[in-house]
Formats: sequence, structure tokens, C-alpha cells
Amino acid sequence: MGKGKGMGVAMDRTRKFSLFVCSARACIGLFRIRSIESLQYRAAALSSGSISVFWALIEITVYTVFYRYAAHREAATLTLAQMVSYIWLGQTLVPLHPLSIDDELLAKINSGDVGVELCRPLDLYFHWFAKSAAGRVGRFWWRALITLGIGLLMPGPLRLGAPVSAAGLIMFLVSVASTFLLSAAYGMLVTAVRLGITWGDGPTYMMMLVGGVLSGGYLPLPLWPDFMQGFLYVQPFAGYLDLPVRFYVGAIPPGRAAATIALQLGWTLLFVCAGRLVMRGRLRGVIIQGG
Amino acid sequence: MAEQIRLTDIQKHFTVYERPDGKWALLRAAFSRKARRVQALDGVSFRIGEGEIVGCIGPNGAGKSTTVKVMSGILTPDAGECLILGRTPWKERIAHVSQIGVVFGQRSQLWWDVSVADSFALLKDVYAIPDGQFARRSAELIETLDIGGLLKTPARQLSLGQRMRCELAAALLHSPKILFLDEPTIGLDAVAKLTLRAFLKEENRRSGVTMLLTTHDMDDIEALCRRVIVIGRGRLLYDGAIAGLRGKYAAREGQDIDEIIAAMYRDMALES
Repeated sequence: MGKGKGMGVAMDRTRKFSLFVCSARACIGLFRIRSIESLQYRAAALSSGSISVFWALIEITVYTVFYRYAAHREAATLTLAQMVSYIWLGQTLVPLHPLSIDDELLAKINSGDVGVELCRPLDLYFHWFAKSAAGRVGRFWWRALITLGIGLLMPGPLRLGAPVSAAGLIMFLVSVASTFLLSAAYGMLVTAVRLGITWGDGPTYMMMLVGGVLSGGYLPLPLWPDFMQGFLYVQPFAGYLDLPVRFYVGAIPPGRAAATIALQLGWTLLFVCAGRLVMRGRLRGVIIQGG
Repeated sequence: MAEQIRLTDIQKHFTVYERPDGKWALLRAAFSRKARRVQALDGVSFRIGEGEIVGCIGPNGAGKSTTVKVMSGILTPDAGECLILGRTPWKERIAHVSQIGVVFGQRSQLWWDVSVADSFALLKDVYAIPDGQFARRSAELIETLDIGGLLKTPARQLSLGQRMRCELAAALLHSPKILFLDEPTIGLDAVAKLTLRAFLKEENRRSGVTMLLTTHDMDDIEALCRRVIVIGRGRLLYDGAIAGLRGKYAAREGQDIDEIIAAMYRDMALES
């Protein structure tokens, strides 16, 4: 029996591993299907892309006036040219961080189809992570292309500038990739919280809004009061767009690059753990409504 | 006949919140609410052996679906034991659900915007079905269920009858040992119902898959099941051959099966 038990543990481990590989493959499959599926909504992308461009132009106008007539212009952390780039890239990245949880998952929570999802031999957290991440990325591509393209074609002072250096561009791309995971992980934490609530979307919307405000999407973080800058740098939502954009315009010294990326990944890991923990608790008490 | 499913004294309750009524009800509801305990399952026990087709009936809200949900690992009961293929569903959910198939008549498992063939390909990854087995099994199911012409269609464009056939194929692709069917014929027309029943019967004969179906359609039971389980008010009220029910509750010869069941529900004071 003793020997059998040892073998049992080893078998269990290989089984768990092969289960993990299959889950990962299935999640990649889901990701592929879902993101391709969202790519087909081109008209929606065109209209939301023009909204981004419109907002970017308004913000640039406002900040240009602001910079020109400010009393302490030399005290600004970013130059006006850097600020223009900040705005274009910010508008590009904003749709990667929607202010609501994934429509499909929300519909499943409300209709009780969570039960059907649980009948799949997949870890629900990663299954949904793949789905919601794919939903974001599919919608993001077209809109980002439109915003970036128009930003680069703008005349002189309105144009999205070139990256500060090749290294800056690479760090920007790495940081965007990790921000994608970060915001998907936070979205999943909010989804897990929503899983136990039967009454409306208020609390989840508030959670998402906190992220939106602290990301710098409304008011760029460099313009917030000086005494807050330390806090703004370490809080998780700077990773949404402020940190990647700072890499691009060269507002983060290369020496701090590794620490900054590590900060983003650390928050991501924390959100994943918290999301899994909340979800496990919720599923134990979950009630699947209806027939 | 090897035993596959064993439920022992399963208990499950839900808490329902009620709003007070009367004057200022809405205002008072904001501060106090009355919790009421509803005992959905109150000690249900039964066993099912390999290859059986068992029908599960009972009035609306009797606890049938709750029983199926406990057995498919979705719900954790308050107390009691449930062993299916040697596993406790809610403790080893992932290992458990890879051995069973579930069809919900009122919910879809196919991906809504995706063609049926893509859904199948995804299920191949989800259940880790080897290539050869997948090719063989899907060809077989596509032929017997006659869904070859539907494979390129997204699930949302299928009629209910077409969709149910695809759902069945989807639930059986990974060759589960046990199939749970929750009201599989709900809303189907006569032809679709007959096709579905014939298919289930044939599938049971050929691959020996154990089936448990809940339904309100007594014709399903008569066509498919030799054994029937009656659940009412969270308890198991009858377990045995359908002929036994007939003998007990048929007031006259040749009475319709629906009337017999209605007489039984009345007798057990189960009317909702």
C-alpha cells in the first residue's frame, strides 16, 4: 500500500501537469477565437477610434493653452512636446482598460450560465482570464491603429513625437505587454467580486473607476500635485498607461526600467492571487439561479 | 452491474431574502430584511449502475435540478455524501467533469458567435481528446445526429432542434461515461423529440453510457427509462419501475401517464 501511495502521488502530479497543459492549450484556443471574433466589428472600431482622436485633440488644445500661460512653466515635469505624445499614447491605451467587466462574463453571471462553465474541466479563473483578455485585445487593435496612425500624421505641434530612443521604444512595448496582463488581472478581481453580487453593478463600476482615475487617463499623472508623485508611482494603476508612456517619452531613467517593470508584474501577481482567492470563496457559496 | 453513482443523504438549503410588506415597506426593506431558509434537498439517497437510463421527475421546484447540479460538481451540498465514478464531484471538480457530459435544455454550451465546427475544435482542446479519437468520434456523431450541414453555421443561427442535436454531439465528443440531461426535450417539436429519443437509446446501447435525465415530458420517460426516480419537496419519494407507479396510482385501466403522475403529485401533496 505504501509503495502504491507513492506512485499515486507521482501519477497525480503528472496528471495535474497534463491537465495544466491542456487547460493552457484550451485557453489559447479560446483567446484566438474570441479575439478574431471581436476583430470583425470594424465599424464600431472606426467610431470609437474617432472618439479617441477627438478627445486627444481637445486635450492637446487645453494643455497647449495651459503650458503657454502657466506661471512656472520651467517647473513642469514634462515638456509640451512630451505632453502631446503622452496624450496620444494615453488615448491609444485607454481602451485596453475598459471601465466595465467583460460583457460575456457579466451575462453569464447574471443568467446563471456560470454553472455551464463549471461543467468544463478547466480552471474557471484562467478560463475566464483568457476570455476577457481576448475580448479586450480584439477590440483594442483597430482603435489603437486608428489613433496612432492619425497621431503620427498630424501637423507639427499636434504630432505624436518619435520615441526618445530605441531602448525607450522597446521598454514601452514590454511595459504595454505587462500592462495588458495587469489590467486583465484587475478586471478578473472585479469580476470575481461581482460573482457574489445579485444587485447591480455599482460597486464594480466604482472599483473600475478608481483604476481609471489613478491611471492618468483623465488627468496625466505628472500634472498631479508634487507631494502625491511618490504614491502615484508605486500604486498599481500607474502601470495602466502612465509608466509605459513615460518610457516612450523618456521620463523614466533607464536605470529604473527593470524596477518599474517588476513593479507592474508584482501588482499583476497580487491581483491574480487576490482574484483567485475571492473567486474560490464565491464559488463555494454560489447559487445558480433558475431551472 | 457496476455502481457508478451513489448519493447518500444529500442536504442542501438556500437562503431567500424577503421584503417586508405593508406600509413603508420599501423604506423598511432598506434597513431590515427577513431571511427564510428553503430546504432544497432534504436527505436524497439513490444509486445508479453502469449503463442504466434513469428518469428523474417531480413538480417544478422539487429539487431535481439541484440534484443534477450537485452531481455535476457545480453545487456543494451542506451535508451528505456523493460518489460518482469513485470521486466526490465538488472536491475534485476538474477530474470529475472530464468524465461526464452535461446537456442543459435551457442553456447552451456551444459558443454563441462561433461556428459549430470551431466549438467542436475548442472542445477537443478543453477535454484533451487525442487527434485520432476526436476524428473518429466526431465523424460518428456528425453522421448519427445528421449535423454535417450545420457545422459551418454559428450557434446563434441554429433552430432549437438543430441546436439540441449539436449540443448532444458536443456533450458526447469526449466519450463521457455518464451523461446528465436536464430537460433535454423542452421546447422541441414532435419530430425533433423522436429523433432525440432514438439517438439517446441507440447511444446507450452502443457505448453503454449511463444516463440520468430530468424531464416533465412523460413520453421521454416511457420511451427511454426502465427506472424512474420521483423527487418532491427535496425528498426521494419513489424509486423503481414506471409500471409500479402505474399500479399504484392509475385509477382506471389505460389511463394516460400524465394523469397518473398528476394523481401521484396530488396524493403526496406536492402540487405547486
